Amino acid sequence: MPNVIETHKLSKRFGQRIAVDSLDLQVAAGEIYGFLGPNGAGKTTTIAMLLALVKPTSGQAFVLGYDIQKNASEALQGVGAMVEAPAFYPYLSGWDNLRVFASAAGLPNSAIERALSMVDLSTRAKDKFRTYSQGMKQRLGIAAALLHDPKLIILDEPTNGLDPAGTVELRELIRSLAADGRTVFISSHLLHEVEHICSRVAILKSGKIVREGAVAELLKRDQGLLLDLASEHERAAQLLRQLAWVADVRVVGKQLEVEAPSERAAELNMFLAQQGIAVSGIRARESSLEELFLELTQTTS
Amino acid sequence: MLIKLLKAEWIKLVHRPMTKTLLLIFLLMTALILSLYFVVVGLALGSFGFQVALFNPVQIEQYRLQLSFPGMFGAILGQVNGIGGICAIIITAGAIGSEYNWGTLRAQLARQPNRAMYLTAKLIAIMLLLLIAILLAQALGLVLAFVFGGLLGSVGSVNAGDLINLPIAILRSLYVLLPYVLFTAACSIFGRSVLAGTAGGMIFLTTDLVLGGLSFLPNTDGLLAFVYSLLVQQNINSLVVRNAYSFGLDPSIALSRFLDLAILPSQLQAVIVIAVYCLSFGATAYYWFLKRDLTGAA
Ligand SMILES: Nc1ncnc2c1ncn2[C@@H]1O[C@H](COP(=O)(O)OP(=O)(O)OP(=O)(O)O)[C@@H](O)[C@H]1O
Ligand SMILES: [Mg+2]
Repeated sequence: MPNVIETHKLSKRFGQRIAVDSLDLQVAAGEIYGFLGPNGAGKTTTIAMLLALVKPTSGQAFVLGYDIQKNASEALQGVGAMVEAPAFYPYLSGWDNLRVFASAAGLPNSAIERALSMVDLSTRAKDKFRTYSQGMKQRLGIAAALLHDPKLIILDEPTNGLDPAGTVELRELIRSLAADGRTVFISSHLLHEVEHICSRVAILKSGKIVREGAVAELLKRDQGLLLDLASEHERAAQLLRQLAWVADVRVVGKQLEVEAPSERAAELNMFLAQQGIAVSGIRARESSLEELFLELTQTTS
Repeated sequence: MLIKLLKAEWIKLVHRPMTKTLLLIFLLMTALILSLYFVVVGLALGSFGFQVALFNPVQIEQYRLQLSFPGMFGAILGQVNGIGGICAIIITAGAIGSEYNWGTLRAQLARQPNRAMYLTAKLIAIMLLLLIAILLAQALGLVLAFVFGGLLGSVGSVNAGDLINLPIAILRSLYVLLPYVLFTAACSIFGRSVLAGTAGGMIFLTTDLVLGGLSFLPNTDGLLAFVYSLLVQQNINSLVVRNAYSFGLDPSIALSRFLDLAILPSQLQAVIVIAVYCLSFGATAYYWFLKRDLTGAA
């Protein structure tokens, strides 16, 4: 089965600014894929290219196996998307807004009913869109994305404006969509919102992917200890690398980053002391993905 | 696919409060102007018990003709190509520009990326709406002809020739609105807003009026007259005036002596020149619509 989303060196430049830089993405069928990055990282621009709204400066993007620059109509038939804020006609009711989409796609009214009930908006369907609360607008946006029962659902910051209960409901909805075999691609700048539902994540910064992988793997890879040493950093690193339970050692300034289970801190300290190397401080590196995310994205370019 | 998109556009267009408001304003203005003619003619004929002649008898006769059949058909179409043009500009700017302002264009095209088809459906929907507005205005004219014509002593009559002329004249009216619609569309797309579309359309209208003020030019000979005859306004006038004549009216008497068919371009030239304008405005609109990125920043 080919990837549902695949990009090759996908790039977008706005004047002098590179918004998306040689992006290589692979999203497999049935995955819930988290696309993370701080404000201005290029998430929306990437999504807009996947939806043929923005033309790539260079590179290629395939959606559901179709080249989006050549066969956008075929590709997007199976895609439901919400880009940035939910955008609807303010003077139309929620129902009529979905009817606009349904008419254009030749869908029956039953599809509208189904989508509205999926997001719990049936009771307010006849009210004008402009009278909706922020969260209700967001729900309608998700309903519109689900209207034609798409294989791939792309949601750009879908939890914006949702209350905690709404966020939990959305999470459940996304899980159930994926359980039915659909692929979900969600962007967010809030990691903890997608950490628990995504099977894989990519972390984007200044248009480039800085980390990509299964959530569990990223967390594991990030387990480790931070050691403060006064001297002999290189020798200490070499010695530690010989230990079977140490995966990797990096020298970062006056510190050693040791990839090892944190519960072996005492053992590690003793080992170095025996080799005549004094450790002035030792602590577990935060292993939450949130920390990793902050660390990766905080330093401004 | 075009039919489906047209359905979607139709929902957007007819449910819009602005559409109904403009239609109402247009019909009210038309009724008001014709009521004014009625007063003028009534005063001149002494229908209100006393006689006041505000215009010379030939002009009064022109106004009287517009208040009965078949002149009423022409009078209504005259209003369509007057205030109707302004309404067409506002409706087009609203229909296209709002989609940028609300961000709905991106949501729609993310589902259905065939932009040429999308714009075509939108333009057809607008023209369809204008056609319906013309038909409603004719229905209003029917009522007014019976009321005013009746009060002035003659409802007039309609013969087979008038009934054949009517659809042709309506098509001419609609065709004459097309360059305004397409120019406004191009401006809305270029400026990505309602404001840009309305402003562009209004500038186009005003330029028309200013150039209309230069209508002594056709009386000069040679190149200048030829260039002038290629201006869109001259060709629009040619078709509008033809509508009036086909229902027994003579706008060169009632309005301006320059609305004389003898000095206006021929019908064939008018149709061709307007088509060329439409093609260039339309091509520009499509070019920008198809080419541009749809990012959030409007
Ligand atoms: N139309 C545009 N013209 C110029 N620059 C743009 C345009 N659209 C986006 N950019 C720039 O591209 C970069 C990426 O923007 P993008 O909207 O993709 O970020 P994002 O990851 O979605 O951010 P956020 O979390 O704030 O939504 C930013 O530097 C932005 O200023
Ligand atoms: Mg964004």
